[in-house]
Amino acid sequence: MTKTDTMVNLRKRLEESESLLAMTGCYDGITNLECREQDPLKFETIHMKLRASCVSAREIARRISASPGVREVGEMVAALYTPEGDAIAISNGIMVHVHTMSRFIKWMIKNDYQDDPGINPGDIFANNDAFIGTVQVPDVMDVVPIYHEGTLVGWAGAVCHELEAGGITPGGDVALAQERFGEGLFVCAEKIGLNDKIRRDYIIRCERNLRMPIYWILDEQAKVAACFNMRDRVLELIDEIGIDFYQKISKEFIEEGRRTQLARVRQLTIPGKYRANTFYGHVTKGKPGFQPLGDPDWLYSIPLQMDIQLDGKIVLDFEGAQPWGYHSMNCTPAGMDGGMFVTLTQHMNFEGLVNDGAWLATQLKLPEGTWTNPDSEFCATATSWALLLPAYGAFQRMLSRGFLARGFLEEVFVGQVNSPMIEMGGISQYGKPFGIAHFECAAAGSGALAIKDGLDTAYVGWNPESDMGNIEIWELDMPMVYLGRSILPNSGGAGKYRGGNAFMSTWVINKSPEVRIVTSEHSSRVFDNAGMCGGYPAPTCQMHRVVRNSNISQRADARKPLVHSTGLDQNELTMNLEGDHQIIEGPHITAPMKAGDIFTHSYNGGGGYGDPLERDPILVLDDIIQGQSSRVHGENIHGVRFKGSIEDTTLEIDLPGTMAARKQLKDERLQKAIPVSDWFENERGKVIEGSFAPEVVKMYRAAMNLSDDFSDEFRTFWQLSDSFAFSEPKQGEDKHG
Amino acid sequence: MNNSPKARPVVAGIDAGGTMTDTILVDETGTFTIGKAATTPKMESLGFLESAIEASDYRGISVQEMFKNVDVVLYTGTGMLNVLLSRTGRRLGLITNKGIEDMVLMGRGLQSWGDYSYADRLHAVTHQHPKPLVTRRNTLGVTGRIDHMGDEIIPLYEHEVEDAVNTLLERDVEVICICFLFSQVNSLHEIVAEKIARSIIADQQKTTELLCSHKVRPVIREQSRLNSLLIEAYATGEGRKQLESIEKVARENGYRYGVQTLQSFGGLTSIRHPNLHETMISGPIGGVLGARYISQIIENDSLVVSDLGGTSFDMGIISKGQIRIEQEPLIGRFKLNLPLIAMDTIGAGAGMHVRVDPLTKKVSLGPESAGSEPGPVCFDNGNHIPTICDCNAILGRLNPDYFLGGKVKLNVDLAYEKFKQSCVDVLGVENVYDTAEGMLKMLDAEASVALRRILSAQGIHPSEYTLLSYGGSGPLHLGGYSRGIGFKDIITFQFAAAFSAFGCTTADFQKRFSRSVHMEIPLVFEASEVKHTITGINDIWEGLKTTALEEMISEGHASDQVEFQPLFLMRYTGQLEDVEVFSPLSRIEDEGDLNQMIATFRHIYRNINRSVSDYGQTSVSIMEMGMIASVEKIKPRLAKAKLGPALPPGQAFKGTREVYFEGRWTTTELWEMDEIQPGNIIKGPAIIEHPATTLVIHPRDSVFMDEWSMLHYRHSQEGIE
Repeated sequence: MTKTDTMVNLRKRLEESESLLAMTGCYDGITNLECREQDPLKFETIHMKLRASCVSAREIARRISASPGVREVGEMVAALYTPEGDAIAISNGIMVHVHTMSRFIKWMIKNDYQDDPGINPGDIFANNDAFIGTVQVPDVMDVVPIYHEGTLVGWAGAVCHELEAGGITPGGDVALAQERFGEGLFVCAEKIGLNDKIRRDYIIRCERNLRMPIYWILDEQAKVAACFNMRDRVLELIDEIGIDFYQKISKEFIEEGRRTQLARVRQLTIPGKYRANTFYGHVTKGKPGFQPLGDPDWLYSIPLQMDIQLDGKIVLDFEGAQPWGYHSMNCTPAGMDGGMFVTLTQHMNFEGLVNDGAWLATQLKLPEGTWTNPDSEFCATATSWALLLPAYGAFQRMLSRGFLARGFLEEVFVGQVNSPMIEMGGISQYGKPFGIAHFECAAAGSGALAIKDGLDTAYVGWNPESDMGNIEIWELDMPMVYLGRSILPNSGGAGKYRGGNAFMSTWVINKSPEVRIVTSEHSSRVFDNAGMCGGYPAPTCQMHRVVRNSNISQRADARKPLVHSTGLDQNELTMNLEGDHQIIEGPHITAPMKAGDIFTHSYNGGGGYGDPLERDPILVLDDIIQGQSSRVHGENIHGVRFKGSIEDTTLEIDLPGTMAARKQLKDERLQKAIPVSDWFENERGKVIEGSFAPEVVKMYRAAMNLSDDFSDEFRTFWQLSDSFAFSEPKQGEDKHG
Repeated sequence: MNNSPKARPVVAGIDAGGTMTDTILVDETGTFTIGKAATTPKMESLGFLESAIEASDYRGISVQEMFKNVDVVLYTGTGMLNVLLSRTGRRLGLITNKGIEDMVLMGRGLQSWGDYSYADRLHAVTHQHPKPLVTRRNTLGVTGRIDHMGDEIIPLYEHEVEDAVNTLLERDVEVICICFLFSQVNSLHEIVAEKIARSIIADQQKTTELLCSHKVRPVIREQSRLNSLLIEAYATGEGRKQLESIEKVARENGYRYGVQTLQSFGGLTSIRHPNLHETMISGPIGGVLGARYISQIIENDSLVVSDLGGTSFDMGIISKGQIRIEQEPLIGRFKLNLPLIAMDTIGAGAGMHVRVDPLTKKVSLGPESAGSEPGPVCFDNGNHIPTICDCNAILGRLNPDYFLGGKVKLNVDLAYEKFKQSCVDVLGVENVYDTAEGMLKMLDAEASVALRRILSAQGIHPSEYTLLSYGGSGPLHLGGYSRGIGFKDIITFQFAAAFSAFGCTTADFQKRFSRSVHMEIPLVFEASEVKHTITGINDIWEGLKTTALEEMISEGHASDQVEFQPLFLMRYTGQLEDVEVFSPLSRIEDEGDLNQMIATFRHIYRNINRSVSDYGQTSVSIMEMGMIASVEKIKPRLAKAKLGPALPPGQAFKGTREVYFEGRWTTTELWEMDEIQPGNIIKGPAIIEHPATTLVIHPRDSVFMDEWSMLHYRHSQEGIE
């Protein structure tokens, strides 16, 4: 096959593959798994070999990386693809990116990269453009083509999440970016290397456009080394089994993955329509740096409908979502794919053939113009996780309802939550410029399960291999010293089984005259997560407590109490420190801080499961003893009554008191209850009058303006006239409203 | 294994597993004999002596004669690990920086999934934190902070230390642990806190022990350092007493030197080694050392080792001759910063209880084990909870009159009765034998899945690897747990039951000393900088060498026998992972030497990580300097014989027995393992018996003995499960 033939055929091949899928419903028109039928063991063995090559490539990359994000907390994934860009086998890690890399490869094929700049042996391509195929700018992916004697037999790809992207604010999840142009260094499906070598001019561009180029550059090298390793393994395998068999079986793996996904859904759930809704609040009014491009405060409603079809196909529909905005939380379809993929691998596709087959067994409906599918490629996606995580947390709860209905109680999981990120830059403790995203956020609380409490400080949706890293490693790279890193009591949603608790960190700035601290991916004022079956959502809207010009040194000299957390019942900061106290609702974007200033940041817990009044009092007591919750919480939320005190270790449960208190709380609930018809009439009145908070009105108006289907359903549900609409925005309100 | 009574025994290796204690006695010609006795966990010296007596008996000498002659007594065991896994260690208190006390609960998040399989790592609902070794209540914070440069950012609040110590003493903890951030850089706060605590303990006339993290494991990463500290405090107290009593017994019987044990990276050391947790995984890694030795004989330098004993199933890997050293291993689900020959362990062994839950009818294996006391039901020693061993006895796989060479008579009827009562009847099924076979299959499946998991996690394919199976129960279950994985070859040994002990005796005396440094070697340096760097390196090496030599001499080695290997842990500045570089030079004289050292680093780095990852634009940093001091020791040798005919000699045949395989009783040939000759092939169904182990050959499978007397297990249809 000549080079020209390869180029022509690759694009045609992709189109052919897609049309075969459309015609047969099977990947690449593979209706029979012949390799598997002939020798099921060989089939599994070969896939295990491919997957093993991805796993070991990821480990190689982790050794090379300079970034605590990759080395310390494993923010990386490696995968192998068909020539058309469909994932055959993947490593563990941030699985979000398996299909985003697939989109990147397909984008190059569809954009005639075979002609220009050419796809040749030894080439290295990189991308971090979410509209081509990634989630956000810091997710930089590298792919290399795999050629066997002149024939393109596939691609090896790897992604790392970078801790610094050179954006308008330091770090990677650039909260202040309101358009693409502030997000940092873009590499748009670029050929960054030839002949197995990364180009020097590309390295120079990185060195000159990033605050901490060593992270990005060494990660780049790490990924490319990983890709070469996978490439070698594939070529060895081809030598062993022959190219024709490799090409055939690698595609069967994907079709097998598709079928496995469908079978799992049929096994674990009940077909039908499932619905969920979650919310996200974003408050930036008055914060420095935000350009007046749109409304500074956003309340996002995230409605989801999941259709589980009889054959097991999952269709997830975001109809009714709101428009994209001039903020960094928009998401591209690639990011939406990623969120769905990583969620599915945690619930259904964790064993056996994990690959793009799972993606093919699903369908996402992403209305154009919404935050899920922006119709402007100028929009920013730097913090798209802010909306993705709540959305896919709701998806997990829908799936869990399916598991519950089918009796798979142990699979029920209240799901993921947002985990706000802290990023910083300025002058390091070494006196040099620096910038870093602190990735200890990769260890939030998980939602509860139907059989036990959620996991404390050890779960995030985007990477189930959660890890907050060592304090001693983080402090090497940031001019801030931990005064505390402690579990945040009561931060998991209450329930018969509570959500996992989160933790909070407290720092004093150390040896730096200038540290810019930016935080993102909070949810303000509304719950971005929920409970299940009577469980409560976890609290959101954690505040940053800041003390500038603190007297910490003087207090330390006098051996007086300092601060190590914000305190449970009293604010330790105001109690123990003098200085300029501030309480700032996230995102935190303010003037730089300096040595001696104090900063606190907290992460999120998960939602609860079941009625908190059904929680075993022993568990409530144990939580108090372990510092996971407060006594007041145990009394008020769980209705448990105690004797004795925690201080002198005499705390114990007053069982008769507890039973009486619980009965009383249940009675009070009943007293508060009203018939649904009364509630409906009351709420309908509010809808007609539009008597909500302005953000709520804007939220509904925006969704209705964008979606006829949503508007029709809204009007039908609330029994409104066909012409009903919320009043138009007043001057100064957002233009999307 | 031929006896050479005239040759002087020189090495006695004793490995105390959860169930059995094995002794291997090596003489000056390299030949060896093996002894075996039940482990006696409450007083390990009893099992130690019993086992040593048996090994001496096989040589035809008294145990006193043996101890009088040997130069090395090497003792390894899993006692400390079992204390950790069963959470039966000491009551601890922890003093740490105020504000990070919850570290003991959070475990970085990572400890909730760290030792899971690929599938379970993804399947998030399975994640669970391990139970901490110190309670959160007994973890007390005191104010004070040192930063990573070693500077005091907040002074230590000594009055808070006093309060914390008093509180912990009131709570009657047995050990107070002290771990502060960056104490490996500047240990001032730990030293002060230790002094205060020592004084209070003395005032109160208590015997509470004190341990500080900068002494136990002075290496960066606080979670790992804390875990080392806590495990040292929690699990080694009892272990140290046991080791001392073993030495006492050895000396009472004529031994002239100190007893040695094995460090987790594979070197021998005295039982007085200050940080005994570094020897915690000593027994199992003996198997890997033995495997390294075997790999040279079988000319395949890629092996997977599997050790099935009474309580645990341990697995390890040698790839292309390299023993995988884990720098940050997980031990008992805790992340440590300790060089360890990488092994994976699951709780699965022949001594495990088999149970059926009366309510849910759920069948479970373990996690408890009958151990050697009282042992399985069939030992008729008071235990009535059936075990995997009992299932093997019920199915005819174990010879009731030949267990431990006939020392223990198995009461199969009792095993049948108790198994029927507590499992079969509860399940509500009819067939006792099918149920027993199902239990064995569950164990085989657990072991098989664990093997597949480590293969997958390491990204290696079994078709290039030879599986070694050993441990007292390895040969018993080998046919089941290796089936379908597709190993290149599967080997077990006549001395399978003592293979770990055998492996330990292949180790040399070795000590590894290291010091954390942070020495940046810039791309371009001034002459004065070169001189400063060279002096720094040589001074540290000299210091380490002096310490190493002193310690080796103190353990009785002649100074001229000690060999030194200096090493660096190096990285490109900014990276977080080091490359271990064995220095080709013992001293750095000039810039050329310095460049040679960097070139060696780059060569190794590029080999490990591929050349594309070489970032020449940045400087190189030395993070740790080390010195390995070694003294070579005599090792056992396997005897080679010519291959004979496929048919085993008549004296090897022991008759037949009815054994239950695949749902029916099958007439099965019985063979005596020690009588099988090189070249013989034995076809299944068959059972090859040995006083210390039983090799079960499943129907249609076969076993071939090679010229080294190693037994190769061949599956009939590899891969069909």
